[in-house]
Amino acid sequence: MGDTELELSPARLEELQKSPSTSSTSTTSSLSLPSSPSSGPRPLTSSSPSTSEGLPTSSPPLDVISEGVGELSLVIDTEVAKKACQKVLQKVKFLKADGELSSANSEPVLVNGTAHPSEEEAEPVKNVRRRQKNNSSKQSWLLRLFESKLFDISMAISYLYNSKEPGVQAYIGNRLFSFRNEDVDFYLPQLLNMYIHMDEDVGDAIKPYVVHRCRQSINFSLQCAWLLGAYSSDMHISTQRHSRGTKLRKLILSDELKPSSQRIRREMPQPPPSCPPTLHHSQGMSEHSLSPSKRTHQRSKSDATVSISLSSNLKRTASNPKVETSQDEDLSSSSDSLELEAGTPVRLTPQREFIKSLMGIGKRLATLPTKEQKTQRLISELSLLNHKLPARVWLPTAGFDHHVVRVPHTQAVVLNSKDKAPYLIYVEVLECENFETSSVPVRIPETRIRSTRSVENLPDCGITPDQRASSFSTVPNYDNDDEAWSVDDIGELQVELPEIHTNSCDNISQFSVDSITSQESKEPIFIAAGDIRRRLSEQLAHTPTTFKRDPEDPSAVALKEPWQEKVRRIREGTPYGHLPNWRLLSVIVKCGDDLRQELLAYQVLKQLQIIWEQERVPLWIKPYKILVISSDSGMIEPVVNAVSIHQVKKQSQLSLLDYFRQEHGNYNTEEFLTAQRNFVQSCAGYCLICYLLQVKDRHNGNILLDSEGHIIHIDFGFILSSSPRNLGFETSAFKLTSEFVDVMGGLDGDMFNYYRMLMLQGLIAARKHMEKVIQIVEIMHQGSQLPCFHGSSTIRNLKERFHMNLTEEQLQVLVEQMVDGSMRSITTKLYDGFQYLTNGIM
Amino acid sequence: MAQTEKKAGLLRRTSSSKKPLKEKVVLMYDEIFAKEDPTKNNPRFWDELFLMKVNLEYLEGKLESLDGDEVMKIKDNINSLFHHCVQALGEEHQIKVVNALQTLCALFRGVHQKNKSATGFDIINMLMGFDKAELRMKELMESLDSLLCGDGSESLKSLCLKLLLCLVTVTDNISQNTILEYVMINSIFEAILQILSDVSSRAQHGYDAVVLLALLVNYRKYESVNPYIVKLSIVDDEPTLDGMGMVIHHALTEYNRQYKDKEEENQGGFFSTLTSMVGSMFIADADEKLSVQTNEAILLALYEAVHLNRNFITVLAQSHPEIDMATTPATPVPASPTTPLSTTPPSLDMMNNPELPLDPNLQTSNLLITFLKYSSIVMQDTKDEHRLNSARLCLIILTCIAEDQYADAFLHDDNMNFRVNLHRMPMRHRKKAADKNIPSRPLVCAVLDLMVEFIITHMMKEFPMDLYVRCIQIIHKLICYQKKCRVRMHYTWRELWSALINLLKFLLSNETILLAKHNIFQLALQVVNLFNMFITYGDTFLPTPSSYDELYYEIIRMHQVFDNLYCMVLRVSTNAGQWKEPASKVTHALVNVRAIINHFNPKIESYAAVNHISQLSEDQVLEVVRSNYDTLTLKLQDGLDQFERYSEQPREAGFFKELVRSISLNVRKNVSLSTMSQDVLLKEFSSIS
Repeated sequence: MGDTELELSPARLEELQKSPSTSSTSTTSSLSLPSSPSSGPRPLTSSSPSTSEGLPTSSPPLDVISEGVGELSLVIDTEVAKKACQKVLQKVKFLKADGELSSANSEPVLVNGTAHPSEEEAEPVKNVRRRQKNNSSKQSWLLRLFESKLFDISMAISYLYNSKEPGVQAYIGNRLFSFRNEDVDFYLPQLLNMYIHMDEDVGDAIKPYVVHRCRQSINFSLQCAWLLGAYSSDMHISTQRHSRGTKLRKLILSDELKPSSQRIRREMPQPPPSCPPTLHHSQGMSEHSLSPSKRTHQRSKSDATVSISLSSNLKRTASNPKVETSQDEDLSSSSDSLELEAGTPVRLTPQREFIKSLMGIGKRLATLPTKEQKTQRLISELSLLNHKLPARVWLPTAGFDHHVVRVPHTQAVVLNSKDKAPYLIYVEVLECENFETSSVPVRIPETRIRSTRSVENLPDCGITPDQRASSFSTVPNYDNDDEAWSVDDIGELQVELPEIHTNSCDNISQFSVDSITSQESKEPIFIAAGDIRRRLSEQLAHTPTTFKRDPEDPSAVALKEPWQEKVRRIREGTPYGHLPNWRLLSVIVKCGDDLRQELLAYQVLKQLQIIWEQERVPLWIKPYKILVISSDSGMIEPVVNAVSIHQVKKQSQLSLLDYFRQEHGNYNTEEFLTAQRNFVQSCAGYCLICYLLQVKDRHNGNILLDSEGHIIHIDFGFILSSSPRNLGFETSAFKLTSEFVDVMGGLDGDMFNYYRMLMLQGLIAARKHMEKVIQIVEIMHQGSQLPCFHGSSTIRNLKERFHMNLTEEQLQVLVEQMVDGSMRSITTKLYDGFQYLTNGIM
Repeated sequence: MAQTEKKAGLLRRTSSSKKPLKEKVVLMYDEIFAKEDPTKNNPRFWDELFLMKVNLEYLEGKLESLDGDEVMKIKDNINSLFHHCVQALGEEHQIKVVNALQTLCALFRGVHQKNKSATGFDIINMLMGFDKAELRMKELMESLDSLLCGDGSESLKSLCLKLLLCLVTVTDNISQNTILEYVMINSIFEAILQILSDVSSRAQHGYDAVVLLALLVNYRKYESVNPYIVKLSIVDDEPTLDGMGMVIHHALTEYNRQYKDKEEENQGGFFSTLTSMVGSMFIADADEKLSVQTNEAILLALYEAVHLNRNFITVLAQSHPEIDMATTPATPVPASPTTPLSTTPPSLDMMNNPELPLDPNLQTSNLLITFLKYSSIVMQDTKDEHRLNSARLCLIILTCIAEDQYADAFLHDDNMNFRVNLHRMPMRHRKKAADKNIPSRPLVCAVLDLMVEFIITHMMKEFPMDLYVRCIQIIHKLICYQKKCRVRMHYTWRELWSALINLLKFLLSNETILLAKHNIFQLALQVVNLFNMFITYGDTFLPTPSSYDELYYEIIRMHQVFDNLYCMVLRVSTNAGQWKEPASKVTHALVNVRAIINHFNPKIESYAAVNHISQLSEDQVLEVVRSNYDTLTLKLQDGLDQFERYSEQPREAGFFKELVRSISLNVRKNVSLSTMSQDVLLKEFSSIS
């Protein structure tokens, strides 16, 4: 029976899925249809229905599905497993529906897979096949749901988490392959947390997918390794060592999860254009052959010296540049397994070393007493780091593939923090096709930007002495050939001295005495002193308001500078700036801070953002990306063009409203109104976030204001069940100061009403999709010691804050109450006062 | 030692020793200086020679004592000695290599000491023979190159460098050292670079390598093509350049540290101040104690690097942890301050460590900061020739830096703030500023501070005119950059203005004395044009509108000086004479300053009259200034923001020739091969042999 069902062409399948009515009639067929595990465009559609009869001979495109995981055998396994799972599902769900669900019935349903993927999946197949026979295929709503188009990753995660049924879990584990990578990536923390902390069935269901993705991507591998480390850290130390999470982490870091066959992998993603890689390859080679051999030699030398300061790990790779290059440039041609063996250690190491050195800097900075010293040390440390760049390293927070080429070290700033030393760095990157395969950019010396006196124009050291002598004999004096050397901008200033002198002789002014009233050939130019003075004040006024440099708050100036301005400025000052694929990124490096809560908050914010967008509620929030590296370190994507309200108030000495007027113009100007609207929309958004997530520690240092008037809350260190020192401050639902209300135009203004309306709409929308939000938090609750999960009622309380039981009218009343309550809240004011007294935050 | 004796004993059996009182090696030298071929009696003569400890004094003395004719008679033997020395360099037996190196050194020295009058060609002929010279030198340089680049002993490398230093400095005027022609052809530049790029070899030999390079670059700099100049100018390997910077940085830091120690020593407690006060009653120059001998060689190296190699500019800003503060307690302070040119620079251990050490008290520093501090020390006292030269060279280096776009960019970088503790001359009328209070500012502020400091401390009878001119040029170049790039430094410009006005005042009051020696009008013109820059282009680089007001205030307040200057230049320019032309330029340049004075003074007076105030406060004057800008017309002067680019030739050629000569003398005096004691070498090589 199963065989006949299989004969259904995928086209038919899609057809069926499109029309639920049909599917309901032809239940039998839709039931056992394998949901193809292919990701992306399905090559299956091309396969003819007849071919898929025998499983082993399944259509070639299935290889694509398996991508690097393995050869045919594995493909079959997944296919069979999937099919089988469905059968199991049917049965289980059927039973469930009958209310007879008992643990007994799932008797040997799943066999615990071993680490080896092929075995792991082979065994269930047998079981399932056995099962197949005694299974009556009946309609399962669940399966229909799973196969419907509505079934998305969020649901998959939810079922994976909630279902106690191994069959379902296994099915979803396989089904993961069919989602887009980016979609699954969003839930990676959840997946891995489940892998670590939940029973083995779930783990086994997830593992093949993770392994598969790890083989595909270095970035994914590292993300997994970091998250696994971070989320395993809450386990008891003895269990942790032998836990699944730790094992998988070790497996990943050992770099055994390399693409099993590079050749196949190479060809898979881009089957037709098999020439581009080779073409590219040849380009790379020609570049190399073009550049003087001396340069390449030096590069490798510098690599070697640099590696001394790095750990021995990187040293090994760097001191073996041949390996690097073979991996860099010969990827397309390297089918030779030996070479792969040699190439593997470099796969993850450069990036790990890069991250490690950034963290090392943070640790060392923390030991320095003053901000000023920290900043200076940071700059000098980064300048050392620059020697090791460009390299095959990247910022995981960026949204595109790139290689880091330079850290403009002088731009880095230490952020305000009492005892830790988080710092913000800007990073110059070159965008590329794929950071794993594209070749690493060639280093351009710092001075090259001046391009003058360019080294290439001068005879190279390679030339024999007499050649050089002859070529230089034309220019006997080095000072005289300054013109050739300096095409500097400053060159414009240089004029032959005699000219200056004649000029100044010409300028005999009217004021000058009668003694010399000769040859007045040129009309003297007069300027009014008043104009100079006026220009001076105008120019100062016209430059966008900058903050004054404060050694105690070095980040204020850096953050205030408009991003575009900064990009332009840095681009001008870098030797890589002329490259069209040059980009500037920034990142905050946090060392000694646990970013897992931040990551959780990011996910919730992102989810809410999607929900609000979907429901067309114009709430504005800005989730910023978080990279958890371990339980006490990580990186944060900075919010650009934003400074904290504390900095605003301290620097400008104005009230928020006055600052708005200073920055955006007077009340009725377009700019002001736009900024005000932005403010209201973001304020409403964040008020809801603060309420739902119980975000605490809301002093003005943790609330940013961007150049368009949006506020952005940062630092989600105290959410859900945790609050700072539990002093009992901040009892209100969220922070809404009278200053905020002033910016919105006062309590009676339209904008304030708009604000309340947005709150209501936002809450209603969020309520509608509550499950999606809860799920994120709930899964992370599993096995977590994070303070935000302190106590037993975290999730229940969170659910309660969505007020599912209230009518919309009641909800409206609730919002009104919360707004009023927050407005009047004395604790907010008290907390601000407290912060001012203890931390000097205004 | 035991080993030498053993060896000597072994040898004694083979050779017949007639005079037991004489060292064996001396006897062998005597054989060389006999006219006969030494191998006649002993075919293994050369082998044996290099197994014996070299007696440098004897060999040099012997060579010296010969007159021209005698030399020609034993020329073959000397040629042969040289030849065998070179051959011995390739020996596996390291003792032989050591002895050969030292013998070569003695040969070069001895021959030159003797033949002061002889031409370079005679010397070459005497040492190597004309026909063989090229080949011998090629062999020598190749051997040295491979010794320097090889993995051999560090002591050997050090000895090689000393031999080279010795060779380079045998003549007072490096350009007359004809043997160096072969060093030009057979370049050891790459070997020097390799030493500098490697962390450990840099620590041990970096100093010698840098000095050697600086000297080689100056060989016939202006007359011929010097491949070392060419090569140095195109080096772009960052580790190497960094290494060079580190060596210079370290040497300068060491000097700063020594100076500071001495200074503290001098200020140590009441009693010592009392004694020094008493002492100073008798000894004319009490400051003498404070002057640590300057290190011109390293400064020259810095100059050549900055001047020739653009890539080196980045090295200036390369941050290093401040070494002096950190290591003072850690490393034992040398009991007697080492003379800077003793070729074993102390404690280079910091440079061994590529990781920045972790010390919270550590101030980050860079070569430029260290150089500025060094300059501030050197410039304090320009009385003796060496210090004057050092100060001049410092200013020349600063000129080069101020001209460089990249250097300007980081000098003005708002994100690179440093505290630079410049040394200020203790003066009666001002207190020593507490070091800690210096704010952290962009580096250009430190440069300007240094210039201001120089201006106000050198108005003396022995007026260092050319230093002043350079100083004003540096300020001018910096301001030109600021104007062009619209950089607004929050600098206390007022200090600069009042320093400049005081300088004018000094020029005026010492007109007659100064005019006898210098063209003071050139300097005055520069100063007045600086004011013109501020007056006409102030809008492009002044930090605030009120700073522009302050400029006017300062000019008005000191109007007497400008009035007097105007009278003086007018007087001179109306008289015929050599100063007519330059003085009239100053009168033209004064146009705007005079316009300002003539415009505002009446206004201020009337303001005072109207308000019945005899003495206006600063705020009141500023008020008057502010309200009367609009009726003042200024004249735009051409070429204010243009400057002549620094060029070494022809203007500075003489200075550098003299400088290199004095450095050569100094290096020659201090290159001591004996620092490498035979004991050490033997210990090192005993296992090998």
